[in-house]
Amino acid sequence: MQVTLRDIYKSFGEVEVVKGLNLEVADGEFVVLLGPSGCGKTTALRMVAGLESVTAGRISIGERDVTNVLPKYRDVAMVFQSYALYPHMTVAENIGYPLKLRDVPKMERDGRIREAAGKVHLEDYLDRYPRQLSGGQRQRVALARAIVRRPSLFLMDEPLSNLDAKLRGYMRSELKRLQADLGVTTIYVTHDQIEAMTLAHRVAVMNKGVVQQIAPPREIYDNPANLFVAGFIGSPPMNTVPGAIADGQFRVPQGGLALPGHAPRSEAILGFRPEDATIVDPGQADLRATVFSCELTGNETIVTCSLGETQAIVQMDKDFDVAADAQVGIRINARKACLFDPASGNRIRPDA
Amino acid sequence: MSAPNAKTLMQRLFEPKSVEAQALVPKIATYAVLLFWTLVVLFPLYWVLVTSFKSESDVFSGPFYLPFVDFQPNLDAWRFMLLENNTLWPYFNSVIVAACSTVLSVLIGSLAAYALVRIQFHVKLAAIGCFLLLLAAVVVAVAAGGIPWPIASIVAIVLFVIFLGTLGRRFRLAVGNNDIEFWMISNRIMPPIVAVLPIYVMFQHLRLLDTQVALIATYTAVNLPIVVWLTRDFFAGIPLDLEESAEIDGASKFRVFFTIALPLVRSGLVATLLLVLILAWNEYLLALFLSNANAQTMPVLVSAQNTTRGPQWWYMSVLIVIMIAPVIVIATFLQKHIARGLLIGAVKG
Repeated sequence: MQVTLRDIYKSFGEVEVVKGLNLEVADGEFVVLLGPSGCGKTTALRMVAGLESVTAGRISIGERDVTNVLPKYRDVAMVFQSYALYPHMTVAENIGYPLKLRDVPKMERDGRIREAAGKVHLEDYLDRYPRQLSGGQRQRVALARAIVRRPSLFLMDEPLSNLDAKLRGYMRSELKRLQADLGVTTIYVTHDQIEAMTLAHRVAVMNKGVVQQIAPPREIYDNPANLFVAGFIGSPPMNTVPGAIADGQFRVPQGGLALPGHAPRSEAILGFRPEDATIVDPGQADLRATVFSCELTGNETIVTCSLGETQAIVQMDKDFDVAADAQVGIRINARKACLFDPASGNRIRPDA
Repeated sequence: MSAPNAKTLMQRLFEPKSVEAQALVPKIATYAVLLFWTLVVLFPLYWVLVTSFKSESDVFSGPFYLPFVDFQPNLDAWRFMLLENNTLWPYFNSVIVAACSTVLSVLIGSLAAYALVRIQFHVKLAAIGCFLLLLAAVVVAVAAGGIPWPIASIVAIVLFVIFLGTLGRRFRLAVGNNDIEFWMISNRIMPPIVAVLPIYVMFQHLRLLDTQVALIATYTAVNLPIVVWLTRDFFAGIPLDLEESAEIDGASKFRVFFTIALPLVRSGLVATLLLVLILAWNEYLLALFLSNANAQTMPVLVSAQNTTRGPQWWYMSVLIVIMIAPVIVIATFLQKHIARGLLIGAVKG
């Protein structure tokens, strides 16, 4: 079912945590709200669930306006970071609780509990209590409880962040598969960009209560809308080098990069990904730089270079090596480079 | 700290080793102290039990401790109390009054405590003042002015609503959850006996004196603050996520309370229930005022054995034994819950 959030504002007393959120989620789509802690993403999710009132704006699920509807009438299911399993109920009772509340007959209930448990591989644990399960199993009980009712919308609040790294990777792929199989519209909140990039059809990057960019993961990565997105997405993040634009060229004291189609500007910031640049001989380079450090991570080499006051990171393959303080050049793939306005932080597009 | 195992004096005093880990001499000393205290606790119970099998002469001709050795036990007192005297009716009264008032006060009190934990109240002080003023005005108008009470109360309600909608909005000062909680507990700070005369007059007017209803209502009201005070913290310990999850799963607030919150605080609730039950079971002062024949409860009957002929210890002992018995049985069954409930909070694991 499609979900629409229109001009949503939320204040706690004097503090405004969500400022004019607009979001349209298509039927069956997986949308991830991504941002640093305190950016308002969880509050936004809780408003969709009905756990938090809306200060201004409208939320609709399908054709129905649910802005002032109680959570129980919204037909959504939510997975909490803490899983929120009921400690005094067995796994089967936990999964069946939403059905019991809807007076589903015992026979049908048992069948559906079994079916949901099967989807998350929990058939053998139905008689256990949550305290007898591992973290990953508890997580799956929470998922089963969400899917057993076939709701029109899934809400997930950092569901994987309490798991250890290995299990998180596994549950991530399970979750993606499950959502694709069930085809239920999903809104997922996380601060982990890997989760966002791998799971989402579209990512909404939020900061300080404002959505910075809503786009598919590849678009977010290749074409960040502003400096915040450029700096938040990617590990290591996009390099940003301040300079100026003149004669269709980005210029810094250490050199320049031809970027045709841009009007002259006294101040601009060049952004490029570490993997879109290479270390070359200073003679053939776009920018001249000094090597600050050279670190082998295993499958690649991270070279940190100093360009006057700023630093830039270049990702080279694992056989590359260079001494510290060496004079090198950086060649940048101009087609992948982005320009930003330092005052507003927004992307500068070519005029042509 | 010199060695890692060295303990400070305070730790040695207040965090003693478990009995199993002690050396022989301290172990014997520990058991000796425990045995002594057991005797202190159990002796009065033994004394009451033994006395109930004594005859009048056995009681007065000297302290006799051992049945069949010091004196010949007989069932005279038991026979008289259970067959000839009207004991079973006050016993029945006690059971009904204690059970009903306990269930009511735990039910109402836990609902109130839950509301105080989960709902933020914000009652304007001015509204409370206005309500009290109008209430006083109604009383005066009905009592002195001779106005029929339905008319007076309808007028008062209308005035109150008008006040809330207009002037009431201008006042800032409000009463929050903490104030409400303190007010409830303050009701218990005042000894109930202070209010016993007004309560007596009230039930007299309602023609409910000497009925079980009067006692149930009074005990419920008196025990409510204790229930709220004790259960409040249990409910505050439940993670909010659980209740929010249940709400999204489709439960109403009441459903959340009865299917999630209550089962989670079960241990604490049982302990509270037992405490309130014992308070109601043993209550004497209010029962003395509010009952005489029909609704007489056991504590009143026990004290009634102190007659003009002096205290009839043997009869009294019979009554005390049958009063203690159910409490011991219930406490034994619920022991597991009590220890856990009051010591560890209500939600664990």
